[in-house]
Amino acid sequence: MYKYNDFDEAFVRERVAQFSGQVARRIDGSLSEDEFRPLRLMNGLYLQLHAYMLRVAVPYGTLNSRQMRQFAHIADTYDKGYGHFTTRQNIQFNWPKLRDVPAILSDLADVEMHAIQTSGNTIRNVTSDHFAGAAADEIEDPRPYAELIRQWSTDHPEFQFLPRKFKVAITGAPNDRAVVKAHDIGLRIVRNDAGQVGFEVIVGGGLGRTPMVGKVIRDFLPKEDLLPYLEAIVSVYNLLGRRDNKYKARIKITVHENGIETVRDLVEAEFIQRRELFNGADQALLAEIEPAFAQPDYITADSQGFDDFYKADPVFRSWVDTNLTEHRQPGYAIVTISLKAHGATPGDATSEQMRVMADLAQEFGHDELRVSHEQNIVLPHVHKAHLPAIHARLAAVGLATANVGLVSDIIACPGMDYCALATARSIPIAQQIAERFDELKLEHEVGPLKLKISGCINACGHHHVGHIGILGLDRAGVENYQITLGGDATENAAIGERAGPGFSADAIVPAIERLVLAYLELREGPQETFIDAYRRLGAEPFKAALYPDEAGGRKHAA
Amino acid sequence: MLPDLTTATVDDRVAYLNQRYKHHAAQAVLERALSDEAVGRIALVSSFGAESVVLLHMISLYDRATPVLFIDTQMLFEETMAYQADVAQQLGLTDVRTIRARPEAVAAHDPEGLLHKTDTDACCNLRKTEPLERALSNFDAWITGRKRFQGQTRAALDFFENEGDFRIKVNPLAHWTPEDVQDYMINNRLPRHPLIAKGYPSIGCAPCTSPVKPGEDPRAGRWRNQEKEECGIHFINGKVVRGPLPVEVEIEEEKPMNVIVTDQGFVNDDWAHGFIAAADLETSAADAPAVAIDLASDADPTILAGRLDGVDLIRVDFPSFSDGRGFTLARRLRLMGFNGRLRARGHVIADQYTMVRRSGFDEVEIAPELAKRQPWEQWQARAAWQSHDYQNRLRGAV
Repeated sequence: MYKYNDFDEAFVRERVAQFSGQVARRIDGSLSEDEFRPLRLMNGLYLQLHAYMLRVAVPYGTLNSRQMRQFAHIADTYDKGYGHFTTRQNIQFNWPKLRDVPAILSDLADVEMHAIQTSGNTIRNVTSDHFAGAAADEIEDPRPYAELIRQWSTDHPEFQFLPRKFKVAITGAPNDRAVVKAHDIGLRIVRNDAGQVGFEVIVGGGLGRTPMVGKVIRDFLPKEDLLPYLEAIVSVYNLLGRRDNKYKARIKITVHENGIETVRDLVEAEFIQRRELFNGADQALLAEIEPAFAQPDYITADSQGFDDFYKADPVFRSWVDTNLTEHRQPGYAIVTISLKAHGATPGDATSEQMRVMADLAQEFGHDELRVSHEQNIVLPHVHKAHLPAIHARLAAVGLATANVGLVSDIIACPGMDYCALATARSIPIAQQIAERFDELKLEHEVGPLKLKISGCINACGHHHVGHIGILGLDRAGVENYQITLGGDATENAAIGERAGPGFSADAIVPAIERLVLAYLELREGPQETFIDAYRRLGAEPFKAALYPDEAGGRKHAA
Repeated sequence: MLPDLTTATVDDRVAYLNQRYKHHAAQAVLERALSDEAVGRIALVSSFGAESVVLLHMISLYDRATPVLFIDTQMLFEETMAYQADVAQQLGLTDVRTIRARPEAVAAHDPEGLLHKTDTDACCNLRKTEPLERALSNFDAWITGRKRFQGQTRAALDFFENEGDFRIKVNPLAHWTPEDVQDYMINNRLPRHPLIAKGYPSIGCAPCTSPVKPGEDPRAGRWRNQEKEECGIHFINGKVVRGPLPVEVEIEEEKPMNVIVTDQGFVNDDWAHGFIAAADLETSAADAPAVAIDLASDADPTILAGRLDGVDLIRVDFPSFSDGRGFTLARRLRLMGFNGRLRARGHVIADQYTMVRRSGFDEVEIAPELAKRQPWEQWQARAAWQSHDYQNRLRGAV
């Protein structure tokens, strides 16, 4: 893992001191509320529905046990004993007091963490594949580049007051687990025909009220040109992006309105100039960063115990079948710990749970943890011999739910229970759906299914790219839930299509149930997943299940 | 306990009132506010907009002689004017006072009625905030229709609020939801503003209000495409304003000099040759002894390509500190080979000084008001712009 050097350390300490000063200057009137607001936001502090919310970056989703334990400490000391892991690999504390925030930031600095640029019209925390460095399908570990981008974007003097927020994601594997096509800039590590490794650069993706799949602006960028090219894109956007309407200010709209060709021409022209500003120092820094992400010292052990236990214990077997992913190292597995216990708030973890996960990472996982954009926690390097012990300790604190990738592994935004922007509740709907499918005991039979819920059109729950998406709206004061079908967050990114009229809060769970039961009837066999069946059959049979009265009123009359 | 009203501060009275009425419903709060001694002389301020009729109706039930202040900005929709007359008559309100800007103020600052096109804040100040402030000077309290659901700035609204330690603001509908408003209007068969049916759920002045599409926030049509959310009656620069609005415009005749911020401190402007617009560069005298250019934040810097040689100073405008285009403009000008003086002018705050310097500027020009609010020490704290800079490390500088 990346270790802060003296420079990083001094930088975050100075930043904490600056923010403390800004709070004092807001109080003495030196800063107006309007002036203080973006300064507060670029340090991760939001004013939410009930209280302040502090969003802490987990850069590219990678952390160690000490950092996870510090989250537990912050949750216990300054908050209500829990934290919320987000879809952008951050953690949010929902109840900090303003006067405690400098102390929290200082505690974070103690473990090489910060909340810088987790909000505001800045380049946000860079996200990446949560299986990076462990997955079997990877071309290269994307995290050294992600760390380079973190350093470049942090406090970048030109880009602290952009037209709007700016999100970058990077993946090193052909199977996209970082949703790069739904980011302002998406980077895919690719190999060209000559066998060289570089980046495919995608620009202008995004969800929100105008969902767009990103467009390729450069199909092959040599690795050493990464920073000048990024700088060219963001500087073109800084001047060209709209500032007259915040709903049209993201780069996806800039690309949409000006056309990818125009934007590409401007970027390429700017790139030539910007390249002059870099003389190789960035590549030297990259070379220093790279060893921090070397493969761990893998162990060898006898997995006979694992095999026996797998055969003997059906609960363990079910967890292994759903929550494990293939590791590149023989004998190893990637473990996804579900933060989606049926009926719990998706993405929440208590301080006790955080400590258990930290302990397991330290004892069995080469001291590494990941936050996934699907709001789960990952132990990326675990020898199979340790899995029975890990499972037992997770089960003791309610973390052994075997539902990763299934219908109850729901992404949900905080919704109207916490968020000032939300127009409908999302967490209670997620809880009810998870509980209903738990009662039906069907979710393992249903198999892989991505269900995502947003509580307003800003789409923080990524509903557009859910196989089933749910969007909560306010219709004349009544919560109303629209369903979209066929979205996809992978390398085959697609925006889901609206199925038809929305459902009330009471009717949405039965509607989802009808939809999933219809899939079970329609599929050719268990190997055909929901999204495959949808692609084969189209929307019609699923719409018929959602709206039975319109499709064939007689069925009910019979 | 009722505080001693001869000595109680506004804070004391507000705390007492909030405590006393915290479990009351909207109507009860309004009814008591009209007579509670701790409140004092009170008026209802009404725009006669989309939801105003609710409070007007309640007032008509309890005391139809309550003063109602109607602000006619002289920019309202005709429909609003007609609706105002209808509602006042139908509810039997006996003391509706129409408030307008002083004609001499309008003549001085907005003779053509176009101020809203260039500076909506100034227009709101002139036509709404200042006249209201004058009208309210004889009252101890005023009633508003603000509600918690209306936005983040209103999310924690109480029934009673301390307005700048000199007046109480009463928000009887603070806890009402949109449904409550609709129910009340339906149940009491109240007349609706004619523009609601045309897609205007929130109604202000005609030039700055547009219809709202299904699914949009009801207030999305107010000052559309602008950052603005509040007219300034309730908040000015995020703060409640004391007393009448500052009359800065009038003092401006003998305008003090702007302050130049450099790494060494605040200095006076030593540039005495004036500035020309970037577009006028071509027509400027070739033999001018010194040339300085003003560059707008939305300018395309390439218009200066190949013409930078004779230029001594470029001044890039920052209309707002949150408009970050100037930083990229500076970097571009440097990349184009400009080696002269580069100055950021306008709303740049001390916290941005490092960014300004790192982007290629030499100095900042700020208004005296800002220099007073953010004295040199606050800029000095950011003057060590060459240290703790990731860009230096990545570019091999220093």
